[in-house]
Amino acid sequence: MTPARLDATFSALADPTRRAILARLARGDASVMELAEPFAMSQPAISKHLKVLERAGLISRGRDAQRRPCRIEATPLHDANVWLESYRELWEASFDALDDVLEDLKRQDRHKAKRKQEKP
Amino acid sequence: MTKLKILPGAPNEIVMQREFNAPRRLVIQAMTTPELIKRWMGGVRAEVVIAEHDLRVGGRYRHVFRLPDGHQFQFTGVYREVSDDRVVHTEKFDDNPAESVVTITLTEAHGKTTLHMVVAFDTKELRDMVFGTGMADGAGESYDKLDELLASL
Repeated sequence: MTPARLDATFSALADPTRRAILARLARGDASVMELAEPFAMSQPAISKHLKVLERAGLISRGRDAQRRPCRIEATPLHDANVWLESYRELWEASFDALDDVLEDLKRQDRHKAKRKQEKP
Repeated sequence: MTKLKILPGAPNEIVMQREFNAPRRLVIQAMTTPELIKRWMGGVRAEVVIAEHDLRVGGRYRHVFRLPDGHQFQFTGVYREVSDDRVVHTEKFDDNPAESVVTITLTEAHGKTTLHMVVAFDTKELRDMVFGTGMADGAGESYDKLDELLASL
């Protein structure tokens, strides 16, 4: 995994057709023909997308000369997501703690309101 | 069960939504008062040791975190938009030159406040994050959400 490849990962993911291809491959390997069918695209058009995905390291192609089945490769997505995930987790932990601070602020507010009421 | 909702966004975005059982006035107070920020930001994962804010357009902020192992990191940025229901600011991680843009909206209904937060990462920033810091290491061991990600695409 090189830095250039992570850039390639995100630009490859920016295209909805390529994301759909990945979603299909997540369910199992498929040939170009099998991929072209549900997308109503020509095989050369699909092949072009597959080349981008392959360069980004998101898929690999099988050796079988006839079918060359496509397989999803998890590593690049995984690396990019590890960071996003730890960022999300930091906020999740923060918001859980914020709940407690807000309860304190609400208590203080009620207390102030009560004292105001008591003082004529 | 977590209360944090992750909503769909672009591949370089994190879109989070969270409801708080308090009026917006108090959420803003908790999110912008340095002494209060130190009590919640980072939660159980990290401690905030420095919280500085200049909450106005063009003003800067700085949050320095300390992890239980003593490692420190910081987020800094500049406010681009500041109002009661919407704040937009840039965000830099440590000395990373790339910036992400964070858009926060706060909506109050029936005494509860919904926070909606979009973090748009620079792809270069993501690249530097992954290769330039150790922050991802800890979370990486237990992390395997590829299926979830693909299902959401």
